[in-house]
Amino acid sequence: MIVLRNATKVYANGVEALSGVDLCIGKEEFVFIVGPTGSGKSTLLKLLYREEVPTSGQVLVDRLNLSDIKPSQIPFLRRNIGVVFQDYKLLPTRTVYENVAFALQVMGASRTYTRRQAGQALELVGLLKKANCFPGELSGGEQQRVCIARAIANNPPLLLADEPTGNLDPSTSWEIIHLLDKINKRNTTVMVATHNKSIVDGMRKRVIALEAGRVIRDQQLGVYSNVF
Amino acid sequence: MSVVSLVTITVSLVVFGSFLLAVINLGNIASLMGSKMEIVAYVDRDIDSLGINSTVNEMSKIEGVAEVKYITKEKAWETFKADYEGRLALGEIVRENPLPNTFVVRVKSPQMIGAVAKKISNMTTIDEVRYSGNLADRFQTLLDAVRISGMVLVFLLIVATLLIVVNTIKLTVMARQTDIYIMRLVGAANSFIKWPFMVEGLLIGVIGSAFSFIILKFSYDLVVYEVNNFLPFVPMITSGYQLFWVYLSVCLIGVFLGMIGAYISVNSLLKENV
Ligand SMILES: Nc1ncnc2c1ncn2[C@@H]1O[C@H](COP(=O)(O)OP(=O)(O)O)[C@@H](O)[C@H]1O
Ligand SMILES: [Mg+2]
Repeated sequence: MIVLRNATKVYANGVEALSGVDLCIGKEEFVFIVGPTGSGKSTLLKLLYREEVPTSGQVLVDRLNLSDIKPSQIPFLRRNIGVVFQDYKLLPTRTVYENVAFALQVMGASRTYTRRQAGQALELVGLLKKANCFPGELSGGEQQRVCIARAIANNPPLLLADEPTGNLDPSTSWEIIHLLDKINKRNTTVMVATHNKSIVDGMRKRVIALEAGRVIRDQQLGVYSNVF
Repeated sequence: MSVVSLVTITVSLVVFGSFLLAVINLGNIASLMGSKMEIVAYVDRDIDSLGINSTVNEMSKIEGVAEVKYITKEKAWETFKADYEGRLALGEIVRENPLPNTFVVRVKSPQMIGAVAKKISNMTTIDEVRYSGNLADRFQTLLDAVRISGMVLVFLLIVATLLIVVNTIKLTVMARQTDIYIMRLVGAANSFIKWPFMVEGLLIGVIGSAFSFIILKFSYDLVVYEVNNFLPFVPMITSGYQLFWVYLSVCLIGVFLGMIGAYISVNSLLKENV
């Protein structure tokens, strides 16, 4: 589903965030991207939803070469990718339900489809009861669930999460990770960038480790670090 | 929607409209004062066609004359009556034709009009000579000055208004950066993101146009009323047709400014590939 060939990203300020990354991720996999801060995890995810373009090399998502697509096609690419952030990025003036429905509406979805999908997504993350609350009235873990509900509302085949537990306490972090695992089991490819060691070690999923923009390890049933 | 941009666009449109109204009225007055290029020479007596021909020939030979036309007093009377048809029952009041036979002399350039008029008045056949000369000249100068300064002013105002509309929309776009980022992220088409801002520009234009139309219409009607009371000899344009075009162009410019302003800011801020 995802292929990176010798992908390199040099930012305008000269920082080489990724250097010659080769990766292949299959459909319905669950992958952790690990590495210290500044190792290029976020940049890797940004290449996939085309917030950034590689300086050289290729990025293919669902056989679509992201270097080749026209700007007008980007929205359609993004409708097939859900993104979850460390800081949730919710609209504070809209209710939980509206935040989720908003994502569907801007794609041009019909009202019935929007209502059904937003309801299902909120049910999946267990927030149907708080549908009419505002984000400010929710705990961090609940806000992250809203963010996840928004990301999966139209059942995208790919879900990217950038440090989804970065602002959460350990038990809430586990709830979020189990939710992502549940989504993965419903036939969604999930990629989680994190530096949460206990979670990675506890889940024993595929682990891709980055360091200074290079893949230093790619391991099935992996752990956060082989160095003890 | 900012008050500042609404006020600016309204003020600019009012100035623009006032300028248009001033120009069409001054132009109207100037045209009624008679062309700067024409001299009329009156002959009281009846003259035969031989006399007409020789006078026309004589006049045509005068340096600076472009064209000479002869209008019999009967024809002049008919035209006059037709012009005032309905407004005055002239046929009833005046039975005799009070108008003289007339030669209309067009000169080649306004500067020559004085000299030509003098020569014509020296001709024995001619009883009286009239031309609008100096006054019309000065009036024309005034009209030109109003036109030019008005155009400069209107141009500057349009640029200023456009800048303010552009900035207003830019601020709205900035204030909604998070919304826009999320919209992009979940796959909203660029046009979907843009249209609310285009609508805002359009609204600024429409509301500004409506305000300035109301202001212009009321103040112009008031001016016409006052002028008719105190300076009844000054002709003011009241024809619905001409005023309609003034108001229409003011409103169109307003809507246009709003839309172009929004278009410029939206296109500079909301590029497709981010
Ligand atoms: N927009 C940007 N412009 C310039 N440099 C950036 C930008 N984003 C990230 N970087 C740099 O690229 C490197 C990798 O960043 P990032 O991908 O965010 O790493 P991580 O998510 O693993 O912390 C860092 O050195 C960071 O400073
Ligand atoms: Mg990061």
